[in-house]
Amino acid sequence: MPKIAILADKCVGCRLCEAVCSARLVGNFNSAQAAVHVESSLPEEALIRPFMCIHCDEHPCVNSCPVSAIVKNEETGLYGVDRNLCTSCGACVQACPYKGIRLAPIDKLAIKCDFCNGQPRCVDVCPKKTIVTI
Amino acid sequence: MVYGYVGKVLRADLTRGKTSIEPLNMDWARMFAGGKGLGAKYLYEELKPQIDAFSPENVLILMTGPLAGTTAPCTAKHVTITKSPQTGTFLDSYAGGYFGCELKFAGFDAVILKGKAKQPVYLSINDSQAQLKSANGLWGKDTHETERLVKEELGDKDVKVASIGPAGENLVTFSCITNDLFRQAGRGGAGAVMGSKNLKAIAVRGTQGISVPNIDKFVSLCKEVIANDVLKSPDNEWVIKDGTPAIIRMSNEAGILPTKNFQSGVFKDVDKIDATAIKKVLVRRRACYSCPMACGNITLIQDGPFAGTMVEGPDYETLVLAGSNCLISDLGAIAKYNLLCDKLGIDTMTTGDVTAFAMECYEKGIITKNDTGGLELTFGNTEAYVKMPEMIAHRKAIGKLLAEGVQKAAAKIGKGSEDFAVHVKGLEYPGYDPRGSISMALAYATSDRGACHERAWSVGAEAFGKLDPFTTEGKAQLVAGTENLYAVKWSLIVCDFYAIGYPNMSRLFSAATGWNISEDELKLMGERIWNLTRLINAREGFVRKDDSLPKRISKEPLPEGKAKGYVVKQEDFQKMLGEYYKLRGWDDEGCPTKEKLKQLSLT
Repeated sequence: MPKIAILADKCVGCRLCEAVCSARLVGNFNSAQAAVHVESSLPEEALIRPFMCIHCDEHPCVNSCPVSAIVKNEETGLYGVDRNLCTSCGACVQACPYKGIRLAPIDKLAIKCDFCNGQPRCVDVCPKKTIVTI
Repeated sequence: MVYGYVGKVLRADLTRGKTSIEPLNMDWARMFAGGKGLGAKYLYEELKPQIDAFSPENVLILMTGPLAGTTAPCTAKHVTITKSPQTGTFLDSYAGGYFGCELKFAGFDAVILKGKAKQPVYLSINDSQAQLKSANGLWGKDTHETERLVKEELGDKDVKVASIGPAGENLVTFSCITNDLFRQAGRGGAGAVMGSKNLKAIAVRGTQGISVPNIDKFVSLCKEVIANDVLKSPDNEWVIKDGTPAIIRMSNEAGILPTKNFQSGVFKDVDKIDATAIKKVLVRRRACYSCPMACGNITLIQDGPFAGTMVEGPDYETLVLAGSNCLISDLGAIAKYNLLCDKLGIDTMTTGDVTAFAMECYEKGIITKNDTGGLELTFGNTEAYVKMPEMIAHRKAIGKLLAEGVQKAAAKIGKGSEDFAVHVKGLEYPGYDPRGSISMALAYATSDRGACHERAWSVGAEAFGKLDPFTTEGKAQLVAGTENLYAVKWSLIVCDFYAIGYPNMSRLFSAATGWNISEDELKLMGERIWNLTRLINAREGFVRKDDSLPKRISKEPLPEGKAKGYVVKQEDFQKMLGEYYKLRGWDDEGCPTKEKLKQLSLT
């Protein structure tokens, strides 16, 4: 199964990943609605890195969801959120140790990377090769 | 449907404590693009001429561009436009980071502020809503602390904050506005205008989208521009490799690296402040939104008296004006000085220049320890040097005079100090000495906000390029053409470090807005915008004599290096200036003629 790896030391915080992700998910440029989220801990520490679903094997988000809204795409074998089923309870957000799933600010429904069904746009656009597939 | 833009302007009347929302004037957007041009148009229409910059009537505009918040590369900057308290001219000051993009995500292309609040306030913008909140608890705090406290109060770490430090509150005329910790609207004193309005900060958070006509096509175009131009053009190589410190060696080799308050163009300790020195303390690179180049250098000083200092920078201008120009070669001290300036909210460029000026006054006996609060303010004295930002921001001792900039400080100090106050219209010279790159004398003189290197960076084609740096021939044309190009860049807003040309600007602007904007239309737009800011300055009373050449640059030959023995002769300068006015279609006083204004649809 393909996975995402985040080489955090390389991130410069350009947030192009957020821009292309939102373009696909919501059809406009809207960082807040992206499934990837860049955070920085400046000025205390010089840490900058994207947080997103890395498609781990354990998928605690799936196990935590009381309404089984995080469903497997049988073609790719990867999990995505069925937003029709999500009830905004936030259990998945609590369960994920990677900060890989969050509630979108507008509709409060869970939002998570679905690997663009094969070719992640964030991996493609990242100028510093911070987000890679493995 | 509005594309590229989000179509709304937020207004805040601070006197009445009221905010309102109106549509962006799309007819003006078509003529002036955004950023510099569109902000200048709003200022031209709404600023009462000849008022004091600190009057409540002064207008403070934060303007974004039609590409901000999209995947268009290097387009994150927003501009703050106002009448400058330092120069009295039109002022446009740009800052990168994330703030401008967040403003668009919140649903606004621009914020226009007028009046003066009775008590300190901050403006909180959240998805098409705006509120003025008390800033009593923030007043007196530095910019980093203000940013932290505002985020804490609003309970959202994704809020972006632009704020002033104590210097802005104290109306230091070169106070900046800091956003995203290390990004500044640096030059010209926009932060002091904020302070005069009792406005401590602007906080913004947005979760709305920016639309373009065909998003898949647009993203593909951006990716192509990134791959084939931004990351491929040799003109951008230095940005990607080192960021602005790359220029230190180039300037030193050309003999134009301002040293000892412009007494030399060569710095013997250049290896202590160049890109290699920066690499040794580099922690990581940092980018603005949508920039694949990442010019920012986050540095951490490892040892010595300033160990533990972490700052984004120092960049070229800080390394020069607060480094070689003060004969300071201790990178730790420069980093500390940079961080202090950022937190206190003062421009590192002018602060460096006024410090160098004060050092020369001190060494010449024009000022003494009585004036400096007991400091031994000699060139290269690190201990005294790092105390200057605090003295200036809080107007202590000599800091009270220096807080007005070199022009006004020299006028008050007198005793011949005017001869080495190096500025145009009250804005101190940047880090390229025109004695070894003559076109920069014209660029500084004709820049609409006083001596600025980013209205026409003609040094790139001249001292760092193929053109003869000592002849006036063709230089008026070079400067005017570059000014027009940059006027478009600053209006779209594309970062100065991406050497974009008209073709890609035309493609990106058209694809974002759905308008069909040709290269020729952009060229005309650049000229239109440059004439508009000139009109604003003419209305404020600026004439030919204000497009000036500092005495040191015209009278004192450089003592060493590639430009050894050279000055910019006043007669050569006047020749270039005359050619420039003629080329621009302006009269002998440098005022745009009626015919020119008609041609540019400015009447």
